[in-house]
Amino acid sequence: MRTQAGINGLASGVLALDLPDDHVLIRAPGKVLRVADLRLLVSLGVVLAGAGVALGMADPFDMVRALLALDGRVGALMLLSPDLPEQARRALMRDAGISTLIGDQPDIEGAVLLDQVLGEREGVWPPPVDTRWLLTTSGTTGTPKLVIHERASIFRAVKAERAENRDHRWAMLYDPSRFAGTQVLAQALLTGATLLAPRPGMTTGEIIEWLCDEKCTHISATPSLWRRLLMAPGAMRLPLRQVTLGGEIADDAILAALKGRYPQARITHIYASTEAGTGFVVRDGRAGFPAGWLERGVEVDGARLSMRDGVLWLRPPGDAHATASHITRDAEGYIRTGDRIAIEDGRVRFLGREDTTLNVGGVKVQAEAVEEIVHAHPAVAQCRITGKPSAMMGTLLTLSVVPRAEVAVDAAMLRQDIAQYCKAHLPPAARPATIRIVAEIPVSIAGKTERAG
Amino acid sequence: MNQMWPQFPQADQPLVLSADELRARITAMFNEMWREDREDEPPVLEDETVLLETGFDSMAFAVLVARLDDELGFDPFTMVEEPVYPQTFAEFVTFYAQCAPKPE
Repeated sequence: MRTQAGINGLASGVLALDLPDDHVLIRAPGKVLRVADLRLLVSLGVVLAGAGVALGMADPFDMVRALLALDGRVGALMLLSPDLPEQARRALMRDAGISTLIGDQPDIEGAVLLDQVLGEREGVWPPPVDTRWLLTTSGTTGTPKLVIHERASIFRAVKAERAENRDHRWAMLYDPSRFAGTQVLAQALLTGATLLAPRPGMTTGEIIEWLCDEKCTHISATPSLWRRLLMAPGAMRLPLRQVTLGGEIADDAILAALKGRYPQARITHIYASTEAGTGFVVRDGRAGFPAGWLERGVEVDGARLSMRDGVLWLRPPGDAHATASHITRDAEGYIRTGDRIAIEDGRVRFLGREDTTLNVGGVKVQAEAVEEIVHAHPAVAQCRITGKPSAMMGTLLTLSVVPRAEVAVDAAMLRQDIAQYCKAHLPPAARPATIRIVAEIPVSIAGKTERAG
Repeated sequence: MNQMWPQFPQADQPLVLSADELRARITAMFNEMWREDREDEPPVLEDETVLLETGFDSMAFAVLVARLDDELGFDPFTMVEEPVYPQTFAEFVTFYAQCAPKPE
């Protein structure tokens, strides 16, 4: 990354692209940040106590603006999810030795606004800093854990800028505090594209409508979020050229649905591990990845892969890597990802997380595997498997189903039909004991299906 | 989204039912599960019917209890400290009646 005089980091990377002053870097409903605004932002001094600062913004626009203002200028940036409970936030900040919290909501205790840490225009800048990015795991289970990233691991996957990138409009559908969110913002900002950041609280329908108006061309989202987007009436109007899936298992059903809906778009799914701080991209439009990638000596996007005890291990490229206390690393630098895999017809399939294995009467059932099969039912738009305590079996499965809007049948009949379908396609322990027809399934801030009971 | 879908009836609040009503609900759920799986008619559940001789295995009973929890709003088996193993249908119904929410 070329360094501009006195400043370094994300902003200097953007300014090095020599974009016109009126080029839009981030657009949100009613808000815009142009190249000229960025120049002004980085001309201000940073007044901060301590080695780092925590960012806890509800609005992705404010979060990305703060990252642009502070990356390369403070020792550490801690990216906090806005839905983090106060106690967890305090604990994470204490563990990292960070006392300053920048927020955008007046109700967060002790938080200051970005403009309060930016001072007067400075004539002389301090030397640039190699800012560490402190992210948290998505916390689908339990308390989020801290993961420290070197800058290289955040920006490694960013592809080189090409002239046509300037027409790209990336939707920011992930929270920027998540690894996936950092990938989208880095890819958009550092290639001269425009980042489209919906306002928090917008409904899926409103987001789709806004993205259509803004001619969004690139979307990266989890399969859960894609299923939700596909249910919005306006979704087919999106002029998409790139469809990216990540964060959860991309199964054949969702890949086929997206291919059918956006025939002109390139469809890729990303495997990324917060633990390993990296991942790889699958471009052939099929679920899983080729089994050959597991062979010794094969590099995939610079990473090396291996399967042990049915679990994917991944060695990040180079020596840039994430560190955290809960990460298991072997002598060769391979990191245990916690994702269970199996080889089937020359293809490696993802089975699910180790911690989403449910024990039904002694039989291990992977929640995602059941969901994948239920998703293939023609009337199912979204579904979720959760565990239900059972005195007799330990755990039983509860299936929640959001039916497709266009399928109009009686709920009780649909329930029966899905039960029959499960009986035909699943072994007894993996058949849901109860089926609920629901209007929606909660998706977490990380865009993943919520599994908490 | 999907407002045309009526929520499948799920007990938000535990229902207050008499022992006879409980018995009727349990029998109805048993019969419904039976018909999902088999072509023949479900057995008539008498007081002295031994549960595991009905043709339901322990998995099926676990599922019956889970579905009754969805419908009635309580699962007596997870409410008691000591494990309870009702053997006859009458014991099963009595156990439900004992643990059922009482009228205020």
